[in-house]
Amino acid sequence: MSLTAAFYIVLSAIITNNYVLSKFLGICPFLGVSKKLDNAMGMSVAVIIVMVVATAVTWPIQTYLLDPNGIGYMQTIVFILVIAALVQMIEIFLKKYIPALHKALGIYLPLITTNCAVLGVCVLNIDNEYNFLQSILNSFGSGVGFTVAMFLFAGVRSKIETNDYPEAFKGIASTLVAASITSLCFLGFSGMLEKIFGM
Amino acid sequence: MADKHTNLIVSAAPHVCNPTDTATIMRDVVIALIPALAVSTYVFGIRAILMTVICAAACVFFEWASRKIMHRENTIGDWSAIVTGVILAFNLPVGMPFWMAIIGCFVAIVVVKQIFGGLGQNFANPAIVGRIALFIGFATPMTTWSVTKNMSQAIINNAGVDAVTGATPLAMWNAGAELPSNLEMFLGTINGSLGEVSALALLIGGIYLVVRKVISPAIPCAFIGTVAVLSLIMGFDPIFQVCAGGVMLGAIFMATDYVTSPITTSGRIIFGIGCGIITMLIRAYASYPEGVSFAILLMNILTPHIDSITRSKLNGVEKKGAKK
Amino acid sequence: MKKSKLQILTNGIIKENPVLVLVLGTCPTLAISTQAINGIGMGACVLVVLTCSNIIISALKKIIPDTVRIPCYITVIATFVTIVQLVLKAYAPALDKALGVYIPLIVVNCIILGRAEAFANKNSVVDSALDGIGMGLGYTLTATVMACIRELIGSGTLFGATITANLFSPFTILIMAPGGFFVFGCLIALVNKLTKGKVKEKRVNKCLTCPGAEFCNEVQEGGCDK
Repeated sequence: MSLTAAFYIVLSAIITNNYVLSKFLGICPFLGVSKKLDNAMGMSVAVIIVMVVATAVTWPIQTYLLDPNGIGYMQTIVFILVIAALVQMIEIFLKKYIPALHKALGIYLPLITTNCAVLGVCVLNIDNEYNFLQSILNSFGSGVGFTVAMFLFAGVRSKIETNDYPEAFKGIASTLVAASITSLCFLGFSGMLEKIFGM
Repeated sequence: MADKHTNLIVSAAPHVCNPTDTATIMRDVVIALIPALAVSTYVFGIRAILMTVICAAACVFFEWASRKIMHRENTIGDWSAIVTGVILAFNLPVGMPFWMAIIGCFVAIVVVKQIFGGLGQNFANPAIVGRIALFIGFATPMTTWSVTKNMSQAIINNAGVDAVTGATPLAMWNAGAELPSNLEMFLGTINGSLGEVSALALLIGGIYLVVRKVISPAIPCAFIGTVAVLSLIMGFDPIFQVCAGGVMLGAIFMATDYVTSPITTSGRIIFGIGCGIITMLIRAYASYPEGVSFAILLMNILTPHIDSITRSKLNGVEKKGAKK
Repeated sequence: MKKSKLQILTNGIIKENPVLVLVLGTCPTLAISTQAINGIGMGACVLVVLTCSNIIISALKKIIPDTVRIPCYITVIATFVTIVQLVLKAYAPALDKALGVYIPLIVVNCIILGRAEAFANKNSVVDSALDGIGMGLGYTLTATVMACIRELIGSGTLFGATITANLFSPFTILIMAPGGFFVFGCLIALVNKLTKGKVKEKRVNKCLTCPGAEFCNEVQEGGCDK
């Protein structure tokens, strides 16, 4: 795989196919944990790590274990259990060896098991028939895309937090409208990567 | 553009009393927009004025209606809705069906502004979002620049045959066709969105606003400067790039909105440069011919972050929002 | 305090509508609600998985050790999701294609895990089944209404039949991502308006049904989306 193809996969996962703002994956943390920039970034780093590790584990499982034995339909069950176990292991590992990082990310890790973006990226890598390296790149790009969306939205939320909303739009309703406006600006970049990378 | 000015209302003490209020500022903005309206009436005929009036009226109506429904104080007296309407109209092709333009006004006033609490509490510029929503939602009418028969007759009568082109200069540039001369681009006898065509008229309005101290020149200068420099680097004609499309209108009237742009001068320069870079990236590479509105919206969204890094430090207070 | 069977059934449809009141399962709702038929299809899948997993989890509630209950629930749910996935592939390939990755993602749909945790492991099998049906219908109803709005305005059709597309240009932004967020926000605002803000307390309690709640620092601050 050429370097441009690699960049193309990563950048399109960040910009044109942003997981949160165009594929609607990981909306819960996007709405729930974006109120403070620190929390948003902590969550995002945890998501990037888990996405990449989960892909590194689930891709070989699908390719070398499930598919050759004709039990590809077990994908959903196996993947979700693997992800759940993996998150536990990452947590234990961080706690023991990198306590500082565990302290920063620890609270976000358990929430990630049920983050649909993680299971989503693992399944989509298989659906798109990416090879191992492409899958890893796509997962990394998706995680970064999640981070970008969280970063942008955390700024917006800090600005509109103290607004005097109309009664009906208090709370989650206005947050969703803000997300709608935020997702608009990502549409402007459509077609850009194809032109830059000549795809 | 000064769409509203919370930064003047919501500020720490001491509160300095000044006769300048929102209505005065907004009136100045409307005055500054008149030269551009005059040119576009000359180029496109009477429908340009009609479109502008309809948009302004629709915005005022939506502002009034939404405040009424929310049982809140009426705010149409501050002229901000009129300004939003006029600027939105300036962003539309002159042949756009009126009902579509009215939907754009609804998005701008109700969705972007009033849902968030009204004047000064929106995080994105209403006119920009209205334009983008129309641009994406009604892609064909928003990019149909060939004018109707009646219209082209009016144009021929008013401005000569030169103006009856089916594409904007930027679209022609994207397609590699022959371009209008830079003088035409500057004066505005070209096709395009209603109020974008004449760089000269917009510049006159901009200078008026700077002289009246309604806007600071930081954002327009940084924005236009970046577009020019990047054009040179990318090998395009900088004068064409600056005069074409919405750069002038965006830089002078939309990027300078008090509410959605940074507070400090250094922040404003970052904001302007960012707008310029994104505009040129979209123009050169994305599938849309024009990127000004997307650029300003993205920088609007980044404004809280720009503010937090450029905010003057308080003595003895640990900086908030700093990276760990 | 004991609810009647009918109350349990209707609870999920209106009073505790999982999407609009409890704000659970937002991701698939936003993603698939571009066409009315997808809303019904997704709703039916969720209904089946939710009802079946509620029944099983309720039946097994005495056997499943408390400490490993979440992985057990996930396994049960994933099993039913796989069954639904295979059935769809065989009998409704077009729908399977339209819903795509969002079918396997039903596993992590917080409605299902949330109901398992909040209802099925405390109530009888029959009640849990009714709760599953009610919540599933509530989900289906919401997803379909939202999809109808988006399809009608965004592409001028309804269930694929042309309604207004010939009369005036559809406002296509409604079937794109920003339209999804916007329509969803408006529906929630409508519910807020109709219930006069009474639903807010329930949304804070959402954290109690969220499997990550015990670790979540937002709980201490009074709810994820407060």
